[in-house]
Amino acid sequence: MLRRSGADNHVIMNNILDRLVNEAGTIILGKELALRLALACLLARGHLLIEDLPGVGKTTLAHLLARLLGLNYQRIQFTSDLLPADIVGNTVYNREEGSFNFHPGPVFSQLVLADEINRATPKAQSALLEAMEEQQVTVDGTSYPLPKPFFVIATQNPAHQIGTFPLPESQLDRFLMRVELGYPDSRSERLLLTGHDRRDLLLGLEPCLNQEQLQALQNQVGEVHVSEAVLDYCQALLAFSRSSPRFHRGLSPRAGLALLRSAKAWALLSGRFQLLPEDIQAVLPATVGHRLHSTTDTGADEGATLARFLIESVPIP
Amino acid sequence: MNSPSRTPLPRLQQYALIALLTLTALPHVLNIDFRISAFFLVLVGYRTLAVEKTALLPNRLLLFLITLGALGMVMMRYPILFGRDAGVALLIAMLALKLIEMRVRRDVHILVFIGYFMLATQFLYRDQIWLVGYAMVLVAALTAMLVESSRNAPSVSLFRSMGVSLLLLSQALPVMILLFIFFPRFSSPLWHLAADTDHAVIGVSGNISPGSISHLSRSSAVAFRVDFEGEIPPPEQRYWRGPVFWFTDGVNWRVDKDDDLAAAELISLGPTIAYNVTLEPTPGSWLYALELAVDIPGDSQLRSDYQLIRNTPIKQRIRYRVGSVIDYRSGALGMAERQKGLQLPPGITPRMLDLVTRWQQQSDSDAELVLKALDYFRQQEFYYTLYPPPLGENPPDQFLFDTRRGFCEHYATSFTLLMRIAGIPSRVVGGYQGGQINPLGKYLIVRQSDAHAWAEVWLRGKGWQRIDPTIAVAPERIEQSIDPTLISDVIGAPIRFIEVKGGVLGSALRQLRWGADAINASWHRWVLGYSKERQLYLMQLLGIGFMHGPKLAYGMVAITGLCVILLSLILLYRVRVKRDPVYAVYLSFCRRLQRRGIVRMAHEGPRDFASRVIAAHPELRNRVARITGLYIGIRYGQLDNKPNRRQFKRLVRRFNP
Repeated sequence: MLRRSGADNHVIMNNILDRLVNEAGTIILGKELALRLALACLLARGHLLIEDLPGVGKTTLAHLLARLLGLNYQRIQFTSDLLPADIVGNTVYNREEGSFNFHPGPVFSQLVLADEINRATPKAQSALLEAMEEQQVTVDGTSYPLPKPFFVIATQNPAHQIGTFPLPESQLDRFLMRVELGYPDSRSERLLLTGHDRRDLLLGLEPCLNQEQLQALQNQVGEVHVSEAVLDYCQALLAFSRSSPRFHRGLSPRAGLALLRSAKAWALLSGRFQLLPEDIQAVLPATVGHRLHSTTDTGADEGATLARFLIESVPIP
Repeated sequence: MNSPSRTPLPRLQQYALIALLTLTALPHVLNIDFRISAFFLVLVGYRTLAVEKTALLPNRLLLFLITLGALGMVMMRYPILFGRDAGVALLIAMLALKLIEMRVRRDVHILVFIGYFMLATQFLYRDQIWLVGYAMVLVAALTAMLVESSRNAPSVSLFRSMGVSLLLLSQALPVMILLFIFFPRFSSPLWHLAADTDHAVIGVSGNISPGSISHLSRSSAVAFRVDFEGEIPPPEQRYWRGPVFWFTDGVNWRVDKDDDLAAAELISLGPTIAYNVTLEPTPGSWLYALELAVDIPGDSQLRSDYQLIRNTPIKQRIRYRVGSVIDYRSGALGMAERQKGLQLPPGITPRMLDLVTRWQQQSDSDAELVLKALDYFRQQEFYYTLYPPPLGENPPDQFLFDTRRGFCEHYATSFTLLMRIAGIPSRVVGGYQGGQINPLGKYLIVRQSDAHAWAEVWLRGKGWQRIDPTIAVAPERIEQSIDPTLISDVIGAPIRFIEVKGGVLGSALRQLRWGADAINASWHRWVLGYSKERQLYLMQLLGIGFMHGPKLAYGMVAITGLCVILLSLILLYRVRVKRDPVYAVYLSFCRRLQRRGIVRMAHEGPRDFASRVIAAHPELRNRVARITGLYIGIRYGQLDNKPNRRQFKRLVRRFNP
């Protein structure tokens, strides 16, 4: 029999995670993969970019995660006239106290939904992206730490829509994952059409986790065992992306780190403490899809196609 | 729209391709009609200009018209498009047109293969070693272009592709050697390609007249090379016997073609000298051998006058082994031979008769008379020259008494004539004399400039004796070779002989020349001389003498195939040793499942594979799950220990679905 490197609290965590996934599945119908990826992204302490058409449930997903994980939640609607101060907050003179007080902006919450991020000007975008990277905000020379955990879900309309400022590659790189929701399948859509309003259902949900449990889970991601064999595989993938003529540029070492971190979170989410090649394959499209470009521009769906090509081209060593 | 094979070519590659392909065709320029060569060069020049100015490139219609024009030109010069020259001309014209058409990467592939083919056609004209070196360099460069064109982005320097190309070609080298050794040889040339090379052949022929050998002596072309098995004999013994001339009309001397008697018995008085001759193509069928040959090659006969004649014409370079004796005594003289040896042409003048009568009165024997005649040549004012003054209607008479300037054939023929007047049976022998020793290869080079003629007289008690009247006039002719580069064409000018020049430069130059000839000689000996017979001999040495003809061809395929398989196995093994042993066991597990029709894809993870197997064959569920679980634990988890590995191996070994 297998000799398990036993740890009882792992089993408890597994139960919590299972419940989390199940509960979420009742609200977001037929989107289990996207949901699990979003959870993995959160566990891996990364930020999530959802790219899809309006009305497929991006906001609901963000809301749902905040609710289930017991995080406080703020939504920022990005528009072309949005200013950086509208995101991070500003200093206001308090006449009674005779001093300047900092009024924190909506970014000071545990889960921020940045809706339609590519509608804002690059200046406003970069204010948020800096906060994501530094985990703090600096206004008038004073740094204010952001709450923990800090998790940004940004949504983006497909780039070719009018009036958008597409995120440059270096900014895209700040997001651990990019997922696409897509249309629901017909059965899920029927349920959606016949069922209750999703927003009402959301309000009825109870958090599955408290913040300590969430942090404990995030810490456990680091404990997932990574064997030499999996590292070999990971490196083979990176090397292939750099040598194959299909890709315009190979994956960066940062992309490699992101891939490994997401895969570990995915393994944990599946209740395992050992990383398998399948975990890497599962998160690969979401993790590297927005970091890869083909030499021949194929336009839409490029990331997914390239990721599938990458997976199918590299044998597992 | 922008598929890789349609990407435009970078300029550097265009220049490189134009240069390389011009070089592949360049040696042909002299072989084919000058108009086609000119067409080629003009088009190539134009294409080079068009690299910078693409607007110069003609459109499709114009290109089509040029193509028609080129085809017409080739057809005009070679009306029936058949044969070597016509084919090469067409190929060159088409290469030029394809170069004009070169635009995208796909064209590189076509052009490179035309280049390979063009290089192969060079060997239809010549087979010198320099051409092999030239072709090899070009093949490597062309392959580099092929490597370069398969790259995603052009590399910084073409030399990087050259490195890959050299690596590839060196990997192909063993296969090349195997094919060379085992490819069945034919005794006749393939496709009769040598058939139209006759015009270039020079050498001693079956007819001599005053001036025919001196004409030959102006060429420094190699007649043959000789490797002696023992010591090389001194120059005065190196008379290479060729045709024997019996009949004369006073001007021309010719061989006795009707004589097909075998050689008379010969009493040898010394040891036999054995040697191998590599003979260049010659006009006749004479195999040159030291006087006189006793051990002769299988496909030849020794005639009664000791001419060594091959059964088939010598249209290609051949190699043969001969044994000769320097000291010999020939037997008695037959009636027919005496008659032939005393045949006199019309036009014997009273002056000649007087001369001979005077000698006869002064001497007691034939031998003494011969000496008297030689003294005559020595004491009178005779000169040895390559440009004798023109002779009138009776050349022997005029030469003996008026001009007295001549080359070896003048002396040999007039001496023979005088001997016949005196009643001594005699004949003229043609061939070569001397030759230079290459100190680097320890072999002898005999050139056309060593062509010579001498006389033979029959003396009672001694048989046929060689008498070289040229020695009487120019003794240094025998010790040294004529230097064809120093011939002065002033009539009657004295001949300069090859002298050892002093100075560092002179000696370095000489070393270089000897070195080049030594390389050439080994090339002829080991590569071009690898004939059917030698192949058979080698096969016998290898103990596979039974392989010849079609069997050898099959053998060649088998051996080459074996070699390739062996090499790939070595490469495969080198990849394999790096593998984790646990992974190897897992692969064996996958192979066992393959028998059930489930093939694991290379990128399929163990868990995914297991679920697929279980879905297809639920009955295997427990065993597959157990093996996969153990594998994952060992390879990806922290359960890599000996008992687990052993158990994993055992489970897989017992797993026989």
